Amino acid sequence: MLDLVWLIPLLPLAGAALNLLLGRRLGKAAGWLATGLVGLGFVLAVAALVDLLGLPADQRVHVANLFDWITVGTFSVDVALRVDPLSITMTLVVTGVGALIHLYAIGYMDHDPRFGVFFAHLNLFVFFMLMLVLADNYLLLYLGWEGVGLCSYLLIGFWFERPSASSAAKKAFVTTRIGDAAMLLGIVLIWLHVGSLDFGAVFGRGASELTQGAATAIALLLLAGAIGKSAQLPLHVWLPDAMEGPTPVSALIHAATMVTAGVYLVVRSHVLFELSGTALTVVLVVGLVSALYAALASIGQFDLKRALAYSTMSQIGFMFFAAGMRFYTGAMLLLVCHAFYKALLFLTAGNVLHGLHDETDMRRMGGLRADMPLSAAWFTLGALSLAGIPPLAGFFAKDQIVGFAATSGREVAWVLASLGAFLSALYIARPLFLTFFGRRRGREHAHEAPGPMQAPLAVLAFLTVVGGLFLGLTAEGGRLARFLEPVVGVVEHGEAALPEAALISISVVLALAAVAVAFWIWASGRVDWEAFPQRQPELAGWLANAFYLNTLYAWLVQHPGKAFGRALTVVDDRVIDGAVNEVAEDVVDASGVAPRIQRGFVRSYALAFLLGAVALLLFLGLRA
Amino acid sequence: MSTPIAYFVAVSAMLFAIGTVGVLVRKNALVIFMSVELQLNAVNLALVAFSRMHGNLNGQVVAFFSMVVAAAEVVVGLAIIVTVYRRRQSASVDDLTVLRG
Repeated sequence: MLDLVWLIPLLPLAGAALNLLLGRRLGKAAGWLATGLVGLGFVLAVAALVDLLGLPADQRVHVANLFDWITVGTFSVDVALRVDPLSITMTLVVTGVGALIHLYAIGYMDHDPRFGVFFAHLNLFVFFMLMLVLADNYLLLYLGWEGVGLCSYLLIGFWFERPSASSAAKKAFVTTRIGDAAMLLGIVLIWLHVGSLDFGAVFGRGASELTQGAATAIALLLLAGAIGKSAQLPLHVWLPDAMEGPTPVSALIHAATMVTAGVYLVVRSHVLFELSGTALTVVLVVGLVSALYAALASIGQFDLKRALAYSTMSQIGFMFFAAGMRFYTGAMLLLVCHAFYKALLFLTAGNVLHGLHDETDMRRMGGLRADMPLSAAWFTLGALSLAGIPPLAGFFAKDQIVGFAATSGREVAWVLASLGAFLSALYIARPLFLTFFGRRRGREHAHEAPGPMQAPLAVLAFLTVVGGLFLGLTAEGGRLARFLEPVVGVVEHGEAALPEAALISISVVLALAAVAVAFWIWASGRVDWEAFPQRQPELAGWLANAFYLNTLYAWLVQHPGKAFGRALTVVDDRVIDGAVNEVAEDVVDASGVAPRIQRGFVRSYALAFLLGAVALLLFLGLRA
Repeated sequence: MSTPIAYFVAVSAMLFAIGTVGVLVRKNALVIFMSVELQLNAVNLALVAFSRMHGNLNGQVVAFFSMVVAAAEVVVGLAIIVTVYRRRQSASVDDLTVLRG
C-alpha cells in the first residue's frame, strides 16, 4: 500500500482536471466527483497508516522516489514523497476534513453558476496541500506551498464580481508572498550550506555541518514563510479579509489546513530550529503575541466570519507557541483538533449565512437557536471545545500546551498563555451567544440547513467529542504524541511548581469563567453591549480595527507606494513620453515643409532634373 | 575628309535643348512626350557620332537598344496618355496634380 502513496495527491489533481474540462457538462456530479476523489484519497491514506503502524516505530519512514525532477550540474531534485508519522497525520487531516468540507460544499454552493469551477479549484487546492505535506525535499514542499497560495487566491476571489472579494484575494496573495520570498531564500541557503534539499540529508548530514549562524539564518527565513502562510504577526492582515471567500473555503483553507502549513513547516524543520535556538525563541514569542493579539481583535469583531478568522489566528499562535517550546506533539495535537472543531464552527457559520441570506453581522442575529436547533448544537459543541471545556478535543490540546509552559519552567509564558486561553474562551463564547442565544435582533426567519449539509457536521462534531480523548489523553502518553515520537522526539517532561491537577483545574476554571462572563455580557440581557462602542469609542475602535495595524501598514507601505507611483507617473508622462512626443512632433513639423517641394507639376520636377544634371556636369567639369 | 565631330555634337545638343525646353514649357502630355523622344534621339545622334569617331560599334549598338526601348516605351506611354485623356477629357499635365504633397 505504501507504494501506491502517489495516488493520494494524484486523485484530486485528476478531479481538478476533469472538473475544469467537463465541469459544465457534469453539473451536480462535479461536486460528487470531487468529494469522492478526496474521500478515496482518505481511504488510501488510512491504508498507508495501517501499513505504517505495522512497522516497528523506528522504521516508519517510506520514501517513494517517483522521478527525477531537476538535474542541473550538481543540483538535483527528485519528485519524492515521504510517508512518515508526521506527513501521514497531515495527509489524514487534509483528505479527511477536506472530504467532509467538499461534501458540505455540494449543498452550500448548490445555486452557484460556477459550481464545477469551484470544485476544480478546491480539488487543486487539496492536491497542492498534499504535495506540501508529502514532499520529501524543500523544493517540492515549496511547489505545494506556492500552489496552495494560488488556490487560496483563486478561492478567496471566487466571487470576483464583488470588488471586496477580488481585492481581498490580491491582499492575501501579496502578503503571503512577502513570507514566501524569504522562505525561498532560506531554501537557497540550505542548498548552499548542505548541498541537498532532501529532508533526510538536511536533517541528518546537514545538522552536523551547519554552523549555528547559518542554522539561525535558514530557520528565520523559513519562519518568515511560515508566518506569512499561517497569518501570524506581522503578516496576518490578509486572513480576516480572506473571509470574503465562500464559507467552505474559509473552513478548509483558512482554518483547517492551509494556514496550519506554517506549523507543519516548523515541526518538520525542527532540527534546524533547535540547532539555532534563537529561532525557536522567535517562534515562541511570535506565537504567543499573535495568540493574545488575535484574541483581543476577535472580541472586537461583529462580523461572524471575521471573529472566527481572528480566532484561527489566535489558535495557530498557540501552535507556534507550543512548537517554540519544543512541544511539537502538542502543536500537532492542537493542529489536528483545531481542524476538527474549527471546520465545525466555520461550516456552522456557513449554515447561519445560508439561512440568513448571507447576513454576517452578528448585531442582526441573536436567538437563532429557535430556528436552527441543530446548527446551534454544533456551534455550541465547537465553541466549548475551543474554549477548553473537558472532555472535548480542544481541552486536551490547549491544556497540554498551557501546562507544558509551566512544566518546562516558563512561568511568565504560562501566565500569558493562561490569559490567552481565558481570552480564547471569551472570544469564542461571544459569537456563540450573539448568534444563537439572547434577544432576537434580526427580522427575518432563518431556515435550517438541509440534511446533506448537516451530515458532514455530525461527523466533525463526533471527532470534536472523541478526537482529544482518542489522540491526546496526556502530553507524553497520548496516541498522537507516541505516534509522532520517531519524527519529533520524545516530549521532555519537567516538574512544575504546581501539581498537574492544579494546573488542569486552573485552566478549566478559567475557561468556565470566560464562558460565564461571555454569557453575562452578551446573552443575559443585563449588559447593554450594543452601546459599548458609543461609551468607549477609543477601546472599541482599537479592538474592532485590530489595533489599527492595517492603517499602520497603509501609512508605512501603501501611501509611500502610491506617492512613489505618482512620481513615476510624472516622470513617465513628462520625461519618457515627453521625449517620444517631442520627436514625433518634430517629424510632423518637418513633414509639413517637405510637401511644398512636391507640387505635382511634372514640369517643375523636370526642371529640377535639369538643374541637377547641370550642377553635376559643372561639378565634374570644374573638378577635371 | 569627313565632317568634323563637333557638328554632330552641336546638332545633338541643339536637339536635346529643344526637347528639354519642350518638356519644361508645354502642358500637353502628348507634346511633352514628343519632346522626350526628341531628347532621346539627340542622345542617339551623339552616340552614333562618337562611335564613328572612335571607330568601334559599341555606341551604335547602344543607340539601337535605346531605339527599341523607346519604341516599347512609346507604346506604354501613349496608352497611358490615351487612358488619362479618356477619363479626364484633358491631356494637360497641370491637371494631374493628385500626387502633390
